[in-house]
Amino acid sequence: MALLSADTRRDLEIHRYPLVVYLLVPLASLVLQAWLPRVLGRFSWFDLPLVVTIYFALGRRSPIQGTLMGAALGVFEDALSHHAIGLNGIAKSCVGYLAASVGVRLDVENFTIRLLLNFLLSLLSSAIFLFVYRVLLGVELEWSWLLQLYIAIGNSIIALVLFPVLDRFQLRD
Amino acid sequence: MDSFFVRYRNLLVLLAILLVQIVGLAVQVRRVSTGRYSLDPNDDSGVRLIRLWADGLVSPPERAIHNSRLAIFYLWTNYFDLRQVRKQNRELEQTIDRLRLEQAALLEDARQGQRLQALLGFREKYIYTTVAAQVIGSSGSEQSRVFYIDKGSKDGLKPDMAVITGDGIVGKVRDVFPDSAQVLAVNDQTSGAGVILETTRIRGILRGNADGQLMIVGILADERIKPGEVVLTAGGDLIFPRGLPVGVVQKVVRDPDRDAFIDVMVTPAAHLDRLDEVLVISSTEPRFSPQEQKDIDTSQSDAESIEEQLKASQINAEKLPGLDNGNATPGQNAANPAAAPPAPKLLPTLHPDRFSPGAAPTPPGSSPAPGQPDSSAPPKTQANPAQPGSQSGSQSGSQSGSQSGTGRNP
Repeated sequence: MALLSADTRRDLEIHRYPLVVYLLVPLASLVLQAWLPRVLGRFSWFDLPLVVTIYFALGRRSPIQGTLMGAALGVFEDALSHHAIGLNGIAKSCVGYLAASVGVRLDVENFTIRLLLNFLLSLLSSAIFLFVYRVLLGVELEWSWLLQLYIAIGNSIIALVLFPVLDRFQLRD
Repeated sequence: MDSFFVRYRNLLVLLAILLVQIVGLAVQVRRVSTGRYSLDPNDDSGVRLIRLWADGLVSPPERAIHNSRLAIFYLWTNYFDLRQVRKQNRELEQTIDRLRLEQAALLEDARQGQRLQALLGFREKYIYTTVAAQVIGSSGSEQSRVFYIDKGSKDGLKPDMAVITGDGIVGKVRDVFPDSAQVLAVNDQTSGAGVILETTRIRGILRGNADGQLMIVGILADERIKPGEVVLTAGGDLIFPRGLPVGVVQKVVRDPDRDAFIDVMVTPAAHLDRLDEVLVISSTEPRFSPQEQKDIDTSQSDAESIEEQLKASQINAEKLPGLDNGNATPGQNAANPAAAPPAPKLLPTLHPDRFSPGAAPTPPGSSPAPGQPDSSAPPKTQANPAQPGSQSGSQSGSQSGSQSGTGRNP
């Protein structure tokens, strides 16, 4: 894994995007996350808002922006479900913060690192969700880690395809 | 102090956002009487606005995608349909003719069934009004098996209405928005429906597990439950009408938490993963057409008249001589035979005369000599209304009630 020194970190390019990308991509991720399970049925093993959160957090390398985007997407995801609002918000806030913090230290252009990061952060998001649900709220919830593993793999595969596509929308000086 | 905030700015922002959301969660979650915590589904007024925003944000694009997909699908299928439309038309006409005959027979059966139900005072709930809706989206989360339909409060939908397909039950309406509604699927963990096994008549509660499979919980171990048995709604949950198909028993597994109990895994009758069109049951009250209601009224009045005739016949039968109780007084309690107390059994008279209970009135001119019993008279006979003066006071008082009965005797 390519670790970067402090000097190289300053030289890292902070990705910038048109405002419309900041608005439409998260919205599209929410809409597709809500619509695609209808088409794919039980094989909808992905979390598009999480992948988008990780992408922008890694690209922007700003923990605050990553946290805010994760919180916003998570809260809207919660609002579409029948769970309490804040469960996904908390999980994705933490993931956004961590992704941005890691993005400062790692070369996130590497495909292997992207794949691994998505996989690990997806599992972390599931773990935080479960922790908040069962421990913090004390509400019963049956859980399948196998399903979460499939979702983490699905997120990694989607990230491999989606990240290069979104990279094309970067603003270059 | 400033340097602290600047140095830990990122972390402080994260903590502040987490704190706000945790407080928000604490407001939504309640401790219930059993000591556990639950997300109270009836108390989401505080978060309703955000759900409305999310629905307003996601539903229009979803609807647009759904309609575009349908339009493309119909365009494509219509093109192919046109190619063989003549042949299909002929076949369809033949099918229609056949179905008309079948429909006429079925309609007659259905009307007869409704009349019979009305006659029997049948009060079970049946589905009478449904709203057809298209599924336009889902929650997108494996932990929340809810989906959205394109009908809302403008179409008369309300929370807790049952949602079904032609195959079986699907879920219940949870949140209703102006143009859409959120439906909680039966295979969600928080869902619950009362069900009954068709042959064994064992009742249980249907809910989903973490993998989205249907299971019946809270059943004592019973060897009669076999795979393939049909599961129906029991009707006790006040949401699903009784007798709707739920699925078939897939397998029986032991309850991991309770030894004496089992979990029955159910294969759903409806395709819960691939829902396109659903029906929302908007009313379960009986609503007959005017003609049907008229038929039912006629049948009811016929039934009442038949019942009156039966009652009158029963009264007459009680007054007929020599049927069951030799000491029964004619016309006794004729007005209310059902409430009549049992007649006391009198001791046999040593020297009966015409005033003795049960003694026959004697026609004029044939009265025996005083002090001699009339051996030719039958011991139990009907009172003669032509001689009211010959009856005791209690007997004459009941004669008016016996007039109709005696008048019919030959």
